[in-house]
Amino acid sequence: MRWSVFIIIVLFTCALDASLGAVFEIGGIRGQLLPAVVVFMCLAAPKRIAVRAAMLAGLAADLFAPMVLADGTLLVVPGPRVLAFALGALAVVPLRGLLYRQNPLSSSAATFLFSLLVGIVWVFLWIIRSVILSSSAPWWPATGASEVFLRVFAAVGDAALALPVCWLLEKSRPLWGFRVTMRVSPGAARQGL
Amino acid sequence: MSATRFVQFLSGKRLDWSLACVAIVISMLPVSALKPWTNDVARLVLVPFVPVTHLGMFLRERIRPPQAIFDPRSPETIALDNEVARLRLLYEQTRLSSAQLEQTIQALRAVSTRIGSANTTFVEAAVVALDPSRVGGVVQVNAGSRHGVIPGAPVFIEGDLFAGLISDEVGSFGAAVIPALRLPSIGCRLYPAEGSDPRVPVQNYAGAVLKPTGRGTWTADVASTGELSVGLVARVADDRLPRSALGTRIGRVVSVEPIEQVPLARRIEVAPIAGLSDVASVIIAIDRSQQ
Repeated sequence: MRWSVFIIIVLFTCALDASLGAVFEIGGIRGQLLPAVVVFMCLAAPKRIAVRAAMLAGLAADLFAPMVLADGTLLVVPGPRVLAFALGALAVVPLRGLLYRQNPLSSSAATFLFSLLVGIVWVFLWIIRSVILSSSAPWWPATGASEVFLRVFAAVGDAALALPVCWLLEKSRPLWGFRVTMRVSPGAARQGL
Repeated sequence: MSATRFVQFLSGKRLDWSLACVAIVISMLPVSALKPWTNDVARLVLVPFVPVTHLGMFLRERIRPPQAIFDPRSPETIALDNEVARLRLLYEQTRLSSAQLEQTIQALRAVSTRIGSANTTFVEAAVVALDPSRVGGVVQVNAGSRHGVIPGAPVFIEGDLFAGLISDEVGSFGAAVIPALRLPSIGCRLYPAEGSDPRVPVQNYAGAVLKPTGRGTWTADVASTGELSVGLVARVADDRLPRSALGTRIGRVVSVEPIEQVPLARRIEVAPIAGLSDVASVIIAIDRSQQ
């Protein structure tokens, strides 16, 4: 996989999520493009690279989403989404053997799983941080449970957006430089029996 | 040699675990350890992509234009409406200001001095990015210290709608706006939609301290014998906010409910008239005397 292509696409997607993302908002729930990009990469790149690349995407997502502290100042915490994306990637990578990768519906299902896991892990890490540091969480004044509820709906939005995004990314596959390996095994069909 | 060995040691799964550990440690660092560098790093990453976010906002305006706040009418009527809103704002601002001034002579002197040297300028800024992770989050605008923007400056939309405050992180060419719904509390007074009666003292209109509910609205317990009804307009009356924010509209009362424990008080819910995510540009009021 070409890292330069991945980094540019991830940052470009983050910028689009931060601006054009409001177009996809329904009833206070907004789908994002970034999870679909990460899932597309996870379904094609080697496992070790996929997890590291997902961490990088998580870092970019953290940098684009500052939180407001109780005193009205801003804070960027790079880390929660890094871990959440890594765990999301670890959940998606084993699905490669089960999914038909070039089918956008497969990517959409994998994106739902990825986003759901990312959302839950992200909320969990913030709760841990809040408990340890006695600080407020980004969803203040709402509760962690309501945030998880929102993340579930957002995962549905991400999955819906993944349909066109993965179709587009599939067209750009040569650009990514994924190494394609084919395993040919002998069988009745191949031998013409 | 040892560096090469270390690189060889730190590869494969060890590298993944190391990265995860670093992420955990950074996630759990206190604010004082993160704030000096993470905000700057984020700004450095965001700046090269501002043209992309600008293009995205332009497309957003075309694909899904903001909902109209007022009914579409003829240009003359809209111009008159704007004029009335501006005069009403000035009027409410003056009334609230004079009510505060009457409270203490010291305050009167201090404030009259401030008014005498008031030098408020307005800067128009385009909204270039929204918080992608949540609705109603922080908004980035393309005006910064080079344009005179200072931390804590109030931000307005639609002329007299208080939308938020500039955060303490002001870059040279950009700044972040903390939406009014993310502020811990805002003091306000509730007026009829058609405006206040000049014969009625300001104190007769109910005051409230709005606190965010987390559902995109505010709530407040109002201990007032005056009439409270749906449709009342909440106007900023908070000493902690800059004077230019005084009297500006912030929201509309959408529900009034009794409180069983306190029979004389009622709980109101106030919804914002418009949010920062609904607009393409904002007005920042900069008080030169605060610089």
